[in-house]
Amino acid sequence: MTPVSITDLALLIPELILVGMALALLLGASRIQTATLATVGTVLAALVAALTAGWLMLEPPRLGFSGMFTVDGYSQFFKVLIASALALTTLLSVKRVDSESVRPAEYHALLLLASTGMMLAVSSLDLITLYLGLELTTLCSYVLVGIMVDRPNSNEAAIKYFLLGSFASALFLYGIALIYGATGTTDFEAITAILSKSGPGMDSLFMVGASLLAAGLAFKIAAVPFHAWAPDAYEGAHAPVAAYLATASKAAGLAALGRVCWAIFKTPGNELLPEVSMVLAGLAVLSIVVGSVVALAQTNIKRLLAYSSIAHAGYALLGFISGTAAGTEATMTYAYFYVFMTLGAFGVVIALEDRGETLEGYQGLAVERPKTAALMLLFLLSLTGIPPTAGFVAKFVVILSVVQEGYYALAILAVVCSVITAFVYLRVAVMMYMKEPESTALPDPDNDPSSRLPLAVSAALAVAALVTLIGGIFPGILTSWAVAP
Amino acid sequence: MTYPTLTVITFLPLVGAAGILFLGRGQRARWIALATTLATLAAMAPLCSGFVKTESGLQFVDLAPWISIGNMQIDYQLGVDGISLPFIVLSGLLTLLCVGASWTAIRTREREFYAALLVAETAMIGLFAASNFFLFFIFWELMVVPLFLLIGVWGGSNRVYAAVKFLLFTLAGSVLMLVGMIALQVANPEAGLNFKQLAGTTLGTTAQTWLFLAFLAAFAVKVPMFPVHTWLPDAHTEAPTAGSVILAGILLKMGAYGFLRVALPVLPQAVQIFLMPMLVISVVAIIYGAYVTLAQTDVKRLIAYSSISHMGFVTLGIFTLNQTAVEGAILQMINHGIISAALFLCVGMIYERTHTREIKDYGGIGKTAPIYATLLALFCLAAAGFPGLNSFVGEFLIIGGAFKTKAWLGALAIWGVVLGTTYLIWLYYRMVMGELNTGLQGLKIELNAREILTLAPLALLALYLGLYPECVLSYLHTPVSELQNIIATP
Repeated sequence: MTPVSITDLALLIPELILVGMALALLLGASRIQTATLATVGTVLAALVAALTAGWLMLEPPRLGFSGMFTVDGYSQFFKVLIASALALTTLLSVKRVDSESVRPAEYHALLLLASTGMMLAVSSLDLITLYLGLELTTLCSYVLVGIMVDRPNSNEAAIKYFLLGSFASALFLYGIALIYGATGTTDFEAITAILSKSGPGMDSLFMVGASLLAAGLAFKIAAVPFHAWAPDAYEGAHAPVAAYLATASKAAGLAALGRVCWAIFKTPGNELLPEVSMVLAGLAVLSIVVGSVVALAQTNIKRLLAYSSIAHAGYALLGFISGTAAGTEATMTYAYFYVFMTLGAFGVVIALEDRGETLEGYQGLAVERPKTAALMLLFLLSLTGIPPTAGFVAKFVVILSVVQEGYYALAILAVVCSVITAFVYLRVAVMMYMKEPESTALPDPDNDPSSRLPLAVSAALAVAALVTLIGGIFPGILTSWAVAP
Repeated sequence: MTYPTLTVITFLPLVGAAGILFLGRGQRARWIALATTLATLAAMAPLCSGFVKTESGLQFVDLAPWISIGNMQIDYQLGVDGISLPFIVLSGLLTLLCVGASWTAIRTREREFYAALLVAETAMIGLFAASNFFLFFIFWELMVVPLFLLIGVWGGSNRVYAAVKFLLFTLAGSVLMLVGMIALQVANPEAGLNFKQLAGTTLGTTAQTWLFLAFLAAFAVKVPMFPVHTWLPDAHTEAPTAGSVILAGILLKMGAYGFLRVALPVLPQAVQIFLMPMLVISVVAIIYGAYVTLAQTDVKRLIAYSSISHMGFVTLGIFTLNQTAVEGAILQMINHGIISAALFLCVGMIYERTHTREIKDYGGIGKTAPIYATLLALFCLAAAGFPGLNSFVGEFLIIGGAFKTKAWLGALAIWGVVLGTTYLIWLYYRMVMGELNTGLQGLKIELNAREILTLAPLALLALYLGLYPECVLSYLHTPVSELQNIIATP
C-alpha cells in the first residue's frame, strides 16, 4: 500500500470542494437561518466543482489511490452532470426550503455530501470504493427524503426508502463478498485478469455475486423489478429532493453500472458477457413496459414522473446492452439529456407549488400562466421524444445502438412503449391547454404577481429549457463530451 | 455565401411565430401572422422563377454539416426538385388563406393560435424541402404538435378526443418509421440518411419488406389509407377551419409524398412485392370512402370522408408505377389540396354565421348568397372531377394508368368517380337549391370581401390548373422519369 500523495489528492479536487462547502455549512449551521446564503454557497461550490471536473477531463486519464480511483473522460462527464444537477436542484429548492421550515444548512450540506458520494462512485475502479461512494449517497438521500420532519407522508416515504434501500445495500455488499471469495480481490482490473484466465466456464460463486451486485445497482437506478421504492419516495419527498433522486442519483447509478459492465463483465475478446447482456436487456424491457404502463394510471404528478423515470431508466439501459463504445456513449447522452428535461419537468412542478402536485392542478394552466405551461409542454415533448427536443436525440441514439447490434425486437418494443408514454404526458398537456381554468376570474397572465417565479427557479428552468432545445437542435455541441472509457 | 432561399422560406414562419409570442398581444397577433405568411409567400418568388424544370436532381441546395454522433454524420440539407416545389408553394398559399379564414373566427387565445399555425407552416415547408431522411423525420414530427394544439384548443365540442386520437395514430405510425430510418442508417452509414444516397443502398428482399412495412405504418396513417383512416373524420370535423385546411390540404399529402420520396426509390423490390395489396386497398379506400361519404349528415364530416376516397386515387396512381399515372397522382395531390381546402373554407365561413354543420339545417342558400353559391358550385364540380376543372386531369391520368395495370382497377376507380359526383351534387342540392331553410331566415349569409379574397386564389387555381395542367405537370416530367429509372433498375 503506497501512502496517499498530493497528486492523488489533486484528482479529488471536485469532491473536496463539495465536502469543504458541506463542512462549512455544517459549522455555520446555527447562524444560517435563511436559505439564501446556503443556496449561494452550494450553487457556487457545484459550479466550481463542475468546472474543475471538466478541466480534469481535458487531461489524459489518470489513476490514483493505488488504482482504486480513476479520473477519465467517462467519470468526469458524469461528475459535470452530477454537479450541474446539484446546482439546478439547489436553485429549485429556494422557495420550498423557506416555506417548509427545513433547516437550510443541513439540507444543503446533505445535498453536497450526496453529490460527493456520487462523484466518488463514478470514479471507482474498486468494489469497495464504489460501495462507499454509493452508500454515502444513499445515507444522505434517506435523510433528504424525510427532511420535512413535520409531514407524516415525508417520514413514511423516508422509512420505506430506508428499509428497501438498506436491503439493496446489503445485497450489493454480499455480492462484493462473494466476488471477493471467488477471485480474491475487489479491484476491477485484477478481477478481469482472473476471469480471463479461468476462461468462459465461470465460477458459479462469481455469477451469484455478480447478480447480487447487479441487483444492488438496478435498485439505485430504479429499474424494474427493483423499482418499488421510487414512486413512494418521490411522492413523499419534497419536490426538489424527488427531482434530485430522479436525476443525479439515477445518472450516478447508470454510470456505476456502466463502469462495472465495462470493467468486469468482459469475455476474453473484450466483449460484454452474453449473460450480462441478457440481464440488462431484461431489466430494460421490464422497466420500459412497467414504467410506461403503470404511469398511465397515475394522477399524482410526482408519482407519474416517478414511473416515467423508471421507463427512462429502461431506455437508458438499452445503450449498455450492446457493450460497445457507441452503446455506452448512447447511454451517456441519454443520461445527460434525461437529467435536464426531468429537472425541468420537476422544476415546473416546484414552481406551481401545491397546485403542481396533482394532475387536476394543471387544468387551464395555459390560460393562467402561459409561460410556465409552454415550458412544461417543452419538457413533456422532450420526455416523449418528439423532435426537435433533446429527448428525441437521446431516444434516437439508444435505439440506434440496439439496432446496430441487430436487436430489432427491442427497438420496436421501445418505440411502441414510447407511444404509451406519449399518452401519459399528453394527459398533462391536455389538462394545461384544452381544459378551461377552474377560477372564472381570469388574471392577466402578464401582470399577475402570483405567477411571478423566484429568480432562482426561473434561472433553473431557463437552463433546463435551453439544454433541452439546444440538445435537440445541435446535439453535437453537447454530446461530443460523451466518450466511453 | 449565396442567399439561402430555402432556409429563409422554411424558418421565416418560425421567426414570425416567435415574434407573435413575444409581441403579439391581442389583435396584433393576426397582423403579424398575415405579414409573415405574405413575406414567406413572397420569398418563394425567386424559387419559382429560378427553378429549371429540365434539370435533374436537387436545386437551391442549402448544405451545412450538422450532427455528428459517434460514426453518424448527418448534414443539414435542403433542396427542391419538381415534385417538392409545388407542395412548398401550396403550403405557403394555404397558410396565408388560413390566416384570412381565421381573421374573425378565432377569438380566444389568438396569440397561441397564430403561433401554432406558423410553426405548422415551418414544419410543412421544411418537410417538403428536406433532402435527408433525418430532417424529413424532424419536420414530420414537428408538424404533429401544432396541429394537436389547433384541434384540441380551438376545435369543436369533441375536440380533445379528436386531438388525442390524431396524435396517437400519427405517433404510432411514425415511431415505426423511426426504427425503419435507424435501420437504414445502420445499413448504409455513409449515406448520412441522404435520400439520394440512400437510393443506392443494397438491401436484401427480406430487409426491404420489413422496412416497407415500417414506413407503410407511418405513411398510411397520414394519407390516410384504409383501414387506418379512422382518426381523419374526427380530426377534420372537430378542427377549426384553419386546422381542417392544413390537415386536408397539406398533412394528408405528406404520407403520399413519403411514398414517393422514401418508399419507392429506396425499397424498389419491396414495392414490387406489395404492389397488388397497395392497389387493392387504394381502390377499397376509393369505393368505401365514397359510400361512407354518401351516408354523412354533417357537412364537415362529409368532406372529411370524401378526402379518404380522393386520397385513394392518389395512392392508386402512385402504385401503378407508370409515368403518366404517377404524374397524375402528384397533380391530384395538389388538386385535392386546393379543392378540399376550399371546401373546408366554404364550410367554415358559413358555420361562422349559422353555427350548425348539419346539412338538414341548410337549404336554399343560393337565394340569399349568390356569390357563395357560385363559388361552392365551382369547388363541388372541381371535386367531382368535372372537365375543365383541375381534378378532371389528375383523375383522368390516374385512371388511365390503372387501366393499363389492371382493367378492373380502372373500372372500380370510375365507379368511385360516379359516387363522388353523386355525393357532391347531392350535397350542393341539399345546401344551396330549393327554398331557404326557415332557420336561416334573417341571417346575412353572403360572403364579405375578405372571405371572397380568401377563396378567390383557390377558385382561380382550380380553373387554371383545369385548363392548363401542364403548369404543374411540366415540373414533374423530369423527377418522375428519374424515379421510374430507379424503380426499373433494382
